[in-house]
Parts: sequence; C-alpha cells; structure tokens
Amino acid sequence: MKTVHLTIDDKSITAPEGTNIFQAALDNNIYIPGLCYHPKLSQFGGCRLCYVEVTERKQTRHRFACAYPVSEGMEVKVNTDEVNRHRKAVMEYLLAHHELACPTCNKSGECGLQNIAHELNMSPGRFKTVRMSAPVIRDNPVLELNRNRCVLCGRCVSACKEIEGVGAIDFQNRGFSTVIGTAFDRPLDCSFCGGCLAVCPTGAWQDRTLGFSGRPWEFESVQTICSYCSVGCTIVLNTKQGSVRRVVSNDKLGINEGNLCVKGRFGHEFIHSPERIKTPLIKKDGGFQPAGWEDAIAVVSEKLKQIKEKYGSNAIGGIGSEKCTNEENYLFQKFCRTVLGTNRINNMPNLKSPFLNDLIYKSVESGFATDSLKEIENANTLFFFGVDVTEAIPVVGCMARKAIKLNAANVVIAHPRNVVFKNTAKNDVRLTYSLGTQHILLNAIIKVVVENNLVDLKKIESLASNFRSLRSSLENFSLSDIERLSGVTPEVIRRAAELLMKPGNCCIVYGKDVVEDPLGEDTMKMLLDLCALIDVSNRSDIHPGKVSLFSARYHNNSQGVNDMGVVPEFLPGYLDINNTANREKIEKLWGVRFSENIISKNSLNLVDLGKNGNIKSLYVMGADPIAEHPNGKEARECIKNSEFIVVQDSFMTETAKLADVVFPSSTFAEKEGTYTNTGLTVQRLNRAIFPVGEAKPDWEIICDVSKKMGQSFSYVNTKEITEEIKKAAPVYSSLSYDRLKRKEFHWPSLLSAKKESNKYTFYAIQVKSLKVKGEKEFPFILMTGASLNHQGYYSARSKALVSVAPECFIEINDRDAKDMQIKTGDMVMVESRQGKLKLRAKVTRKSPSGIVFVPDAYANTPVNVLIYQAHTPVKIYAVSEK
Amino acid sequence: MAETNLKSEKKDELDLSKTEEILAKYEGAKGAIIPILQKIQLEYGYLPESAIDLVAERLNTSASELIGVSTFYAQFHLKPRGKHIVKVCCGTACHVKNSRGLTTKVHQKLKIHKNETTEDKMFTFEEVSCLGACGIAPVVVIDSSVHGEISPDEFEKLLDEYKNTNRE
Repeated sequence: MKTVHLTIDDKSITAPEGTNIFQAALDNNIYIPGLCYHPKLSQFGGCRLCYVEVTERKQTRHRFACAYPVSEGMEVKVNTDEVNRHRKAVMEYLLAHHELACPTCNKSGECGLQNIAHELNMSPGRFKTVRMSAPVIRDNPVLELNRNRCVLCGRCVSACKEIEGVGAIDFQNRGFSTVIGTAFDRPLDCSFCGGCLAVCPTGAWQDRTLGFSGRPWEFESVQTICSYCSVGCTIVLNTKQGSVRRVVSNDKLGINEGNLCVKGRFGHEFIHSPERIKTPLIKKDGGFQPAGWEDAIAVVSEKLKQIKEKYGSNAIGGIGSEKCTNEENYLFQKFCRTVLGTNRINNMPNLKSPFLNDLIYKSVESGFATDSLKEIENANTLFFFGVDVTEAIPVVGCMARKAIKLNAANVVIAHPRNVVFKNTAKNDVRLTYSLGTQHILLNAIIKVVVENNLVDLKKIESLASNFRSLRSSLENFSLSDIERLSGVTPEVIRRAAELLMKPGNCCIVYGKDVVEDPLGEDTMKMLLDLCALIDVSNRSDIHPGKVSLFSARYHNNSQGVNDMGVVPEFLPGYLDINNTANREKIEKLWGVRFSENIISKNSLNLVDLGKNGNIKSLYVMGADPIAEHPNGKEARECIKNSEFIVVQDSFMTETAKLADVVFPSSTFAEKEGTYTNTGLTVQRLNRAIFPVGEAKPDWEIICDVSKKMGQSFSYVNTKEITEEIKKAAPVYSSLSYDRLKRKEFHWPSLLSAKKESNKYTFYAIQVKSLKVKGEKEFPFILMTGASLNHQGYYSARSKALVSVAPECFIEINDRDAKDMQIKTGDMVMVESRQGKLKLRAKVTRKSPSGIVFVPDAYANTPVNVLIYQAHTPVKIYAVSEK
Repeated sequence: MAETNLKSEKKDELDLSKTEEILAKYEGAKGAIIPILQKIQLEYGYLPESAIDLVAERLNTSASELIGVSTFYAQFHLKPRGKHIVKVCCGTACHVKNSRGLTTKVHQKLKIHKNETTEDKMFTFEEVSCLGACGIAPVVVIDSSVHGEISPDEFEKLLDEYKNTNRE
C-alpha cells in the first residue's frame, strides 16, 4: 500500500493511503478530540468535534478529521483559534441538553464528553439548558441505558451491528426526537456482550454489575486472562479494597481487541461469591467440618500413603484441570508421577477425545496449525466445522466478522444444527448435515475438489506421497448417495468446496461436534487431508495464502492441561512416555527415578478403571468429572468406588460433595501463571487480589501436600515452575515468563521453523456409513453443547449471568413440538435409558426435526445423567410445572 | 438470543401470508428495505410488529434496524391508521387564524390526540406544519379533499358528515 507523508501540528508523520486524518493522528499519538470515531468501527462523522484546518494543494480549508483522507504533503492544524471556536460551539450544543449528572454518573472520570468539556474549558454556554428527563431503561440484568446522557454518536449501534453481528439497537425517529433504542421499545434482547458499553464515550450505557461500588479513579487495574472459554481474551480487572468490582476491556491489549462476551465482561461476581469454599474441609460422619490447613494436609498425606502401601501406587488416580494454569497442571503431573508414583492421570478433554492431542500435534507439525487465533482476522475463507462459534467461542465470531468486513471473507458453516452466526458475508454457505455423517460430508468435499480439478492435481502428486490412495478413498460414495445420507445437496457441497479452495487465507475451526463424535478421529484425519489440498492450492505465486486449523477447545486451559502432560501417554510437551530417552531426560531434570509403572499401556481410561474398582483413591484438581464427563453416571460410579477422594476447587462441585478432603483453591483473579488458549498461544495471568478466605493457589496446595509426603518441591513462585516447564517441554522451550508480560508466546512457532520440505502423507480414510436414528421408544437424539451465558460453576455463581439466563432449557424443533403440542416455556421431561431430567422447552428451528439440544454448561442441570453413549436417544413428554 | 423470555411467547394472530408474498417478490434483491416496507404498509395500512420481525429474519437484518429506517421516514406508520386521515394545519398563518380551535374540536369530538386513531378505526388525526395554502387559512385536509377558511363549527359539521356517510 502506498504511504503518504503529511504534517499534523508541525509533526511530520506517514500514513497508509486511504487512512483518515483522525486515524493517522491516533496512530502517531496526536490528540484530536472526537466522540463518534472509533478505530474498530466504520466511520460515522456525526459528532462534528474533530474539526481541523487542512492545507493541501495550497488551499486551506476546514475539514472533519475522521471523514477526510490523508494526502501527500497535507498540513493539518488541530488547534487554531478558528478550530477551537467551532469545537466549543459544538460542545455548547451537546451540553445544552446533556444531563450533566457527573457527580452521580459512573462514567465520570473516564467520560469522553467530560474530558473534552474540561480541556476546552467550557463555561455555561449561550443556550438555555433544557435537560431531558427520559426514564432510564433498565430492562435487562447487565446493561442500563440513560438516553439523557446520549450524544447520538452511534458507536454502540455500529459496535452491535459490526462486531457482534446482532443489531439489537439502532437510531429511532428523526431530528430532535432521535434516540438509541430497540424496535418497538422491546426489552433489549441481545447477546449482552457489552460492546455498546465499551465504546460509549459518555455515561449513556452503564454496567449494572458495577452498581455504585467504585469510581474509575479509585480502581486499580490489572490486566489478566479470562477464565471461561478457550479463546483467552485479555480482560482488565478493576479492583478496590481488595475486591474485584468490574471487568473492562482494553482495545490495545491481547488477542481480542477489547471485544468480550457476556461471560467475560459481566461474569466476575463468582470471585466474591458467598458460596466460595473458604477453609479446608474434612468429611466426618457424612458432613464436612472446616479444618486448618495443617490438619487437612496431614489427613491427605497419611491416607494417600496408606492406600499406596495397601494397594500399590497404581490404585491412585489423578485428574488435572482445564481451568487451572499450566504451572499448576505441570506440578500436578509431577506430583502424581513422582510423589504418588502413578501414571493413571488424565484430564476431562482427553477423556472425551483421547486422539485429539496426537492429531493437534500432527497438524502443527504439518504446518496447518501454526498461526495464532489472530490469523482469523486475515482470513479470506472461514470454515466452521461442528462448532457453534456464537455460543462456544463468541469472540472468535467477532474476529471472523472483522475478516468479513475487511477482507470480504466467505463463510462456510457445517453443523448438524442450524447454528446462528450473524454476519454480512457475501457468500455464506451452510451445510446442515444429518447427525453422524460429518465424515461423509468431508469426503464429499474432498471428492468434489479432486474430481472437479479445483486444485492442481499434478502438484499434489508431487507434494504428497500417496495421492492414489486418497483417490481410491473417494470412490465409495457417489454425490447422490451422499445427499441421501447427509441431507446436503451436491450443489451446496460444490459451492462449499469452491469457496474453500479459493486462493487466499483459509481458517478452519472445528469443535466439539466433530471431536466428540464416535467417528471424530477419522473426521479429523480427513480434515487434515483437506487442509493439505487447500495448502497446495494456496501455494500459487499469484494469490499466496495459508491454511490455519484451530481446535475449539472447551475451557480456558483445555489446551494447556494437555500440553503439560496431564495425560497417561505424554510427558510435558508431548514427549512419548514410553520412550526411554524422554523418560531419562525428565528423570534427570526432576532428580528422580520413575518407578516401573510410569509407562502408558493401551488400557482402559481413568474413569473406566475407577468404574471397575481399580482406582482406590482419586486426587482431583480443579475438575468436576461428575458434571463434566460425558457419562455422568459412570463418573459418579468411579468416584463412589474410591475409598479416598481429595478435591481442590473453589466451589462445592458435585465431585467435591463426595470428597473426603476438600482444599479451597483460589480463582484466576487471585493467582499468577499462564494459560494456553485454543490457538496454542501462551498468555500470562496477573494477580489482582489476595486469595479469598484461606484459599490458596492450586500449585501451593500441591507443594504443601508433597512436602508433607516427604518430597519437597521448592518453588517460591510460579516463575520458577515456568522456568522448569521450559526445560521439560520442548514446545515451551523459548517461553519467557517476563517477556509474557509484554507479548504472548505462540508455541507452534518453534516447530514450524523446522518443517519445510516434508512430503505430506494422506490418511485417505475409508468412509463408512453411519446412520444415527432414534429408537421406537426413544425417538429423539440428544445433542449437547456450549452456552454463551454459562460455563460451569463460575457462571452459575455470577449473579448477572444467572439473571440473564436463569434456567437450562431443551431446544425442540418446531414441527416436533407441534406434534407433541409443546410450546415454548412448557415443562417437559427428557428421559433416556439411563436417567431423566426436567427441563423447560424452547421451540426453535435451530435444531432439526428428530434432534433435541440441551446446553451442558449449566452447573445446576447435569444433562450428562441422560447420556450413556454418543447420540443418546431420548423421549420427551410434557409434565406439570411442579 | 437471550434466554430470559422463555415463559412469554406472544403469538400475533396477523395473517403474514401477504408479507411472505411481498418478500418472495424481492428475494435476493439488494437495498430493497424501503420498497418492501412500502408494499407491506400498502397491504396492512401500517407496519405490523410481526411483519417487521418476519422481514428482519428474512433479510438477515434486525428489527431495530428496520424500525430505525421506518421511524426516520414520515411515510411509515407503526400503528394501525383510521379510514379517514384528518390533517389540521398548525403552520404560522393557520395558527394566527385559530387552528388551535380546530385541534381542540378534534379532541372533543373524536376523543383523540395528535397521531392517534379513534377506537372504531374511523379517523386518524395528524397535525401538519404547513400545507402551502396560507391564503385560505385555517386549512384542514381530510383524506385528499382540502377545506379552507374553516371555522370550528363548520369543521364539526364536516366531521359529522364523514361519520354519517360511513354509517350507511
């Protein structure tokens, strides 16, 4: 792009051609007052404050900086008398009917209007002030709209439409009666991302979770990472007197550009929830008794020693946490493998999809998963496969909409349900496939690509070693067979294949509905084959591009817990545990000798072992297998079979209720460490407050327990653990804890440098036909998935989120509901062979006929009691409210 | 989207097949919001809430945006309108010639304020700023017939006439 030279207030700067003066000034730290322009949003030009003097081609004129592009040799003056006179006049108009409630306005101190009024030294204006007295709109639990303070800059309208894709609000009426509002003044019905609040330059939009619990200048701000989903957004915690009062975003920090979802922005109240566990608890006579740390640790150490002696170390199992930091998980597996002497450790995501670690590592090695999530913003084609982006990883949706806005990216979404992803893409292809046919669909896409020569086949033959076997794997089904099985027409498949093979950057995000399917492993391998094809087509000289593959993990550190080796197969950093060299390396680092049983045998997983009575004691750190394991009943059996259970958690989870000793652990706001997000980027947490009650960070608890058990871990802080991780895990070897303060660390960058000329080997999966059907007695298939508003215990203890979404529900297709005479709001009983659950019905077209959907993210509604296999058949019948 | 309103499902009894027909005609067309809204208003006499929601769903936009458009233009109406539209000019000239008397007459006679419609859906009353006929002030326009230099009493008779012709 061409660069233009100009001067602003005698300072010479350069800016890319096409930039407006306002943005050029912002990029060069030159201040121009303005209320409506926002770098994230499209230009509006409504506030009239950024009036500047512009001299170009020897002509001096006045222009609005946000609405005028820079040009070569342009001279801009921001502060002439004329300019200030104009600006003051505009401010006089704005203030003439502004509420001027600064003493009681939460925005005071960080208000754009207040700042400009102050710096222009505004005095009572020439106009008689007519204050507006519109009632404040408080129709929802988290956001409040005070129209009297609105300056109609339109930022919230643009943010809602462009970033969140919702468009819940718009300008209503005209002229003096213009206001911001919803259609027909209905209560705000949106995703409650709070984007409007973040961009509002005045006090019109307010955060109701803040209440009046602090003023902006009283807060201490700590930048940290959100503890909900796997995107890893940077949030800023505002604290006062040792408690978190609100969460704000900062456009300049992190991968999320200041975009957050409802959980990130408003779901912080759990930190100070009265339901937090405040002291260690020991079970006595069926009830929990508060205990001191010393006593509780003594009990745990004694009991674990006894079990080890009585049944051997293999009788102890450990479950790591997808919510805890990398350091804590690293220490946890070290504790299990050395102090407890067991390799029977695991974590929830690995229990759900045991093949995933291997395949993610392979995709990094093949060069398909080497980019950070930020790359989504540079995409030309977006492919969401088996993931409900809006519900599961909402901020990735914002990034995708940015790509659609800036690069006119095309969208392909394949999902068994009609998931909502609001966007303005020119091409938005939806592949709504029948449940269980995801691999057939993928096979069809590859078939179309190969048979229609959408990629240079000769090039592929030279770059891949077994193209022939890929070809033969495409012969099992014809496109009409595929239409019959998957319900997707050949035209739509062709359309999708064409978009995917279009030159340019292609970002693929796959999620739960792919990896937790019984055929997930095959599907993932086929996805890698597809990536190889896209990769080849992108290696053109004219339109070079790359393919980036992302696995949408569930929790904030679902990736990190696996990276840290809390799995039976790998030592930290995916070192094969059965490899003697790897074992020796770690033994040397830790100064220990592994016992014979620290190897991985292809045996049953931890929950199965527990179910069969082979686990006598379970040590659970920050996980709730009873609520999170796909099969709740099995997980409960596993826990019940154990003689002694230790749980470290912040809340009394279902698993903690069955524990013998519960240690109170601190939440993300109270500790340091690192999380690894779904884009394999390591980001650093910063402690904002001291632990609540007697809670301790999980790593400290583990250090204390191991010390008591005679093996002391001498870490003073998390940095020391990070240093050790660097030495243990090759993929983390160039991580620097101090550097993380400024910049995140992306681990595939280490691997991608190595790989260049390797030939790709296709998996060439032979596709089988799998038909998922209900049974006669249980006619519906149950699907579960993420929820935008909730994610486990944290959200369930955050008042704001509970009021936004008070109760779990079951989505029923409108035709099915009509047949059963069920309406939205009715109570229904959902029953499978294994259990039943009472839920409120939500009639929708989102789920196709024959499929019902229940979010698995509501901590108080354990939907997994119903599930005994993937695609569990259920029946539904209406029941009374009580 | 939010799951707050699970309990209340309001069903409008409006026949939306006409809206569907209009939408079908404009399927795939870009920038068709205003013509679609015009056609819908022609069909129903106003823009019904359920029709707006349907249009929003089909055009992949939001109801707020559509309402933003329709409240910007004076030609769109969000409430059902009467059979007869009574416009009383309240411009400067008419004001001087006692247009206030005319508007009071409407309040007394029809029991409605400006921009409101009588319960029997017979009259909608609007105040307009200037009709460009100041020479014959005060001016009242009912539907498309202009009545100049009208006194409150004459206006009352005129309203009665309209009322009676409709009874028959």
